Amino acid sequence: MRIKKKDAALLVLIWSSAILTLTILVGIIGYVLLNGLPHMSLSFLTSTYSAVKGGSKGVLPMIINTLYIVLISLLLAVPLCLCGAIYMTQYARQGRLVHAIRFATEVLSGIPSIIFGLFGYAVFVVLFQFKLSILSGSLTMMICILPIIMRTTEESLLSVPSMYKEAGLALGAGKLRVTMGVVLPNALPGILTGIILAMGRIVGETAALLFTVGVSGNFLPKGDNFIDATFGHIFEQGNTLALHLYNSAMNGKDPVAVPFATAAVLIILIFILNRLADLVYRRLNRFGDR
Amino acid sequence: MTLGKRDLAPHNELSRKSQCLLSSRQSMADRLLKYIIPMLTLFSLVAYSMPYLRIDIGTKSVELSALMIVIANIRVSVEYLLVFPVLFRAIIIISPLLMISACIVSFFLKKHIIASILSISALMCQIIASLYSSEIAKSLVANGIGRPEVSMKYGWFVFIFLTVVLSLSVLAQEGLEKAAEQVFQFTALVSVGIVVIMTVYMFAYGTPAIAEIGLIDFLLGKEWRPTAGEPEFGILYMILATIFGCVGAIAIGVPVGLFTAVFLAEVAPKKLGDVIRPAVDLLAGIPSVIYGFIGMKILVPVIRELSIRFGINTTGSGLAAVIIVLAVMILPTIIRVTETTLRSVPRSYTEAALALGNTKISTIFSIQIPAARSGILAGVILGVGRAIGETMAVIMVAGNIVKFPTLFSSVRPMTAGIAFEMGYAEAGLHRQSLFGIGLVLFVFIMIVNVSFSYISKKGGFTGEN
Repeated sequence: MRIKKKDAALLVLIWSSAILTLTILVGIIGYVLLNGLPHMSLSFLTSTYSAVKGGSKGVLPMIINTLYIVLISLLLAVPLCLCGAIYMTQYARQGRLVHAIRFATEVLSGIPSIIFGLFGYAVFVVLFQFKLSILSGSLTMMICILPIIMRTTEESLLSVPSMYKEAGLALGAGKLRVTMGVVLPNALPGILTGIILAMGRIVGETAALLFTVGVSGNFLPKGDNFIDATFGHIFEQGNTLALHLYNSAMNGKDPVAVPFATAAVLIILIFILNRLADLVYRRLNRFGDR
Repeated sequence: MTLGKRDLAPHNELSRKSQCLLSSRQSMADRLLKYIIPMLTLFSLVAYSMPYLRIDIGTKSVELSALMIVIANIRVSVEYLLVFPVLFRAIIIISPLLMISACIVSFFLKKHIIASILSISALMCQIIASLYSSEIAKSLVANGIGRPEVSMKYGWFVFIFLTVVLSLSVLAQEGLEKAAEQVFQFTALVSVGIVVIMTVYMFAYGTPAIAEIGLIDFLLGKEWRPTAGEPEFGILYMILATIFGCVGAIAIGVPVGLFTAVFLAEVAPKKLGDVIRPAVDLLAGIPSVIYGFIGMKILVPVIRELSIRFGINTTGSGLAAVIIVLAVMILPTIIRVTETTLRSVPRSYTEAALALGNTKISTIFSIQIPAARSGILAGVILGVGRAIGETMAVIMVAGNIVKFPTLFSSVRPMTAGIAFEMGYAEAGLHRQSLFGIGLVLFVFIMIVNVSFSYISKKGGFTGEN
């Protein structure tokens, strides 16, 4: 069999594109880790941050704030998406309403995060008077991750064989009972994957948080009583890891090691979440056909 | 799974009896529930006289109840008289009227679904009223009254609470199954609501600045000097920078992405494919701020060195760096969509082409890719959307100077403009003009989105193209 010249050229292009893609990824991760890991010590991860020159440059507050935002926005978004996806897959009949919902979800997933940031600023910071705070940031992030969780949840609910549902209905259970007791537990792995993906999005998000959470590096809650000490923090400003990377890289006030080490922490977090999502999906998904 | 007794459908005499008992108890609960609805409506009338809106102007502050807003013009001090817009008043009157009619419909006509729609619209009225409060603050600023703060007081929260409880209790009369369905439906509609509110908001915040500057001056003006003595707000060069960056990224990213997708779908040995596919997923997951950071640390110095060698004096950050970073960032989107579409091309097409004596490669490029073109186009459009909206990566390598974008000059795309100046923009026309840029961006993105959903609806694989 002879290989035509044109074919050979195309084959070379195909291979080199694939290798280029792989090289870019390896290059990015390698570069960040090589430059960042040497500066990433235990004290970097567990000490506070002060903007003063020569002060402590740890990222503990940023890690805590990031976790806060992840937690709150997931708490808000997951129930909403679960109920929405249940409606779309179990109850809805094809029609205008379903089209509108699907279109809206699609539109939301296409809107860039800077627009979410502007919207969050206008609604949560200015209108609701939450000021620059972790709460405003979390609410903004909730809107950002809605389409992600909604889509994955819908997919995994659809992947549950209708046999299961029919068996439940045949036993005399109501639709609600079947949905909650049979369909939902069986769709859990897919839902979990969606949640992990959303976590990755929140951890890496910057533009939507730029003018909704502010940049303060403090993390000690104010107030003595239990409620203020536990929840009071969400009305304070907070810096996340990704925001910290942006600020320290752009300002140039911090030593150059700070952004590199922060970037390394971020990359490692994203890598772990990414692998975890894959693992959960493969391990737990029984009906998987992706 | 265990089933409770109540889930089992009654099928004999005994269970029918027990059901009778059960239903009599339910009817008592129902009756209670029934009287909750008029009570809630009564409460809403009481809430009418609670503090509803608070306006702070300098040291003075007034707290207004909903009733006062509807019937009177309020004199804040000797010189200020607050006159509320008719629409605002109308919304505040309509809301309890809707609640009362929901009560009547549910109580006398037993049309619970209609009643719930009415009470949800009452809730919507309250939300719209809260949106209006910021309009009031803005009109106060426009009249030169200090820096007023308008905020909703607990009367508003009571209204919101009452309408939510009313909707739920009206629904509960339909029985658990129906109520659950309604709740699910409502939550599914949240995303629609968010999109609608977002659109309204982007226009409400973006249009005042555009109206003041003038649409033509805003879109086609070349000068951007928001803080100068005589400020100018022309965003033509920002729009051009966005478009050029996007076009460049597509020109580089699409071929590379297409070839990689072909590699993954057709050429790659299985093991290598299993390595590259997760790698592409990971590439999609890397935060944009890291792309920007790496662009800043590697790409910008390299471009600077290279351009100095060729005798061009630049800082290195500029359109070229933006294009390369964006090209890398849209890669995963294009690869994924293209691979999926290539895989969905029916096997019979390729088999027929191969049987006619085509080589594998020429089959891919002359049969499969043309067959998959609408899917690929959808992927490209998604990539365009991502490139237009990308902010952090762009802001870190663009150089952020507003001038005509050439390959090696510093540029400022729209997204970077918003993010860069939001930090220090004073309230007033400068900040409003940033929302104006946001509106332009929003319109761009909506066009991209709508054309994406049009094409992907048409495409997928249908065989007719």
